[in-house]
Amino acid sequence: MIQLSSVVKTYESKAGTIEALRGIDLNVSAGEIYGIIGHSGAGKSTLIRCINMLERPTGGTVLVDGEDMGAMTEAELRKARQKISMIFQHFNLLTSRTVYDNVAFPLEIQGKSPEEIRTIVLPLLDLVGLGDRQDYYPSQLSGGQKQRVGIARALASQPKVLLCDEATSALDPQTTKSILALLRDINSRFNLTIVLITHEMQVIKEICDKVAVIEDGRIVEQGPVLEVFTKPQAKTTQDFISTIINRSLPPEWSETPPSPTPIAGADLLLRLSFIGQAADEPIIAGLIRRFNVDISILYGNIDHIKDTPYGTLLVSLTGDDNNIQEALRHLQERDLGIEVIGYVARRH
Amino acid sequence: MSQDVIKLLTEACLETLYMVGVSSVIASLAGIPLGVLLTITGRGHIKENLWLNQSVGSIVNAFRSTPFIILMVAIIPITRLLVGTSIGTTAAIVPLTITAIPFIARIIESSLKEVDGGVIEAAQSMGATPLEIIGKVLLPEAMPSIVLGLTLTVVNLIGHSAMAGALGGGGLGDLAIRYGYQRFRLDIMIATVVVLIIQVQLVQSIGDKLSARLNKNKL
Repeated sequence: MIQLSSVVKTYESKAGTIEALRGIDLNVSAGEIYGIIGHSGAGKSTLIRCINMLERPTGGTVLVDGEDMGAMTEAELRKARQKISMIFQHFNLLTSRTVYDNVAFPLEIQGKSPEEIRTIVLPLLDLVGLGDRQDYYPSQLSGGQKQRVGIARALASQPKVLLCDEATSALDPQTTKSILALLRDINSRFNLTIVLITHEMQVIKEICDKVAVIEDGRIVEQGPVLEVFTKPQAKTTQDFISTIINRSLPPEWSETPPSPTPIAGADLLLRLSFIGQAADEPIIAGLIRRFNVDISILYGNIDHIKDTPYGTLLVSLTGDDNNIQEALRHLQERDLGIEVIGYVARRH
Repeated sequence: MSQDVIKLLTEACLETLYMVGVSSVIASLAGIPLGVLLTITGRGHIKENLWLNQSVGSIVNAFRSTPFIILMVAIIPITRLLVGTSIGTTAAIVPLTITAIPFIARIIESSLKEVDGGVIEAAQSMGATPLEIIGKVLLPEAMPSIVLGLTLTVVNLIGHSAMAGALGGGGLGDLAIRYGYQRFRLDIMIATVVVLIIQVQLVQSIGDKLSARLNKNKL
């Protein structure tokens, strides 16, 4: 649905040239919820605006539904934008218009008649749960309600793509959850492709199918959310994940870092990740029985990524050095997320 | 107060209303589009054109820095050309309008610049044309502030019209100078000032009320 290839964006300023995007390649399939996460200043705002040409890329191509957005005339671009809706961190509603008239706005631009507009706006207000607020002005609504108006307005033109620019960053955690649930609902109801940018890992975990981590104008890691969560490669990704999943070692290990290579007579520290079905297997019990090792659980957690259960377990293996190595090999042969943290001197 | 004085005051009052009313309307018709032009051609706005922006801006500034009394005398030939005479209430409308146009243009510009850039961006993301952004976003969103600005313009014009009166323009200023000052009629002088104060108060409170009604931000 959306293809970005080697997209570059530079700004000229008095301080010199600023490279906001340094060659972005991104593929978003139809019906997907694609999250782009990065710290502020990483370029994610510029990136999402390059998709609908609110920012014109300096180089590279942007295809939406097979059409080259960069090659369009102003008029063609306006037409194309009607099928690419956008919601914003600060909602950007017209303060002088009621809820109803805000949602009607994109339809007025398309030249629809008042009767036609009515048949589209009213069901949408019901869908976002604001059927009884149509005559309110934005200043009379809470943040969450304003974003619901923003979503209804975005849906009014029956778009193919919805761009979310930090849509939940100005909302409290409870409201964030309800807005994310609404986005998931419209994603499945209309098979709507959603691209969202955020700096909150929670948002990615909650609703995204795929994620791209952006840093300093480059994508440092991308892939299905489950994969990125269980096997994060880049440092930035690990930092983001640690904001919602405890990846730190118990304090006694963080002071003397574990050795990456085996040491005779040492314990092995492992982090195991269980995804979906694997979470049901009696792996720990099997290891103890078959390899004659003792296993102590240092930390454990079960969470959900979108709808998939996802567990992490930090364990230490104690026993004969050969047994530990065999147990490790056995684990590595299985479809488990295994991270060898290292070998630490046995404590007694 | 005698019948005559009341008659003089009423006539002068109507003349002032006529001068201020007509010049306000004409100046708005010219000043509002000019203000829109100054806004949208500004840096980072929807039709950025700095060359045009600075050219129009300096013409506007030139008119704004000319004191009204000098402008009034300087454009007498133009006034003659347009209305056939340089004396009287109708003649006074020309300099009043010309002085108000750049003022309104700047007032409109500053009101429109207050409109949140995010809202404009939202309209662009929906495929709105520049004209739709002006008509459906910029002007309606800035309306409470525009009304206050136009109120300020009318109040200024009431003051300027008194000055025009001193140069044979008619109206309350003319009355105050000819009767109050030159014939030492203190009662007429005071009455004129009171009428002017009431006029200004009325205009200001109507403007404030209208602006408050249009403002949907504080409900």
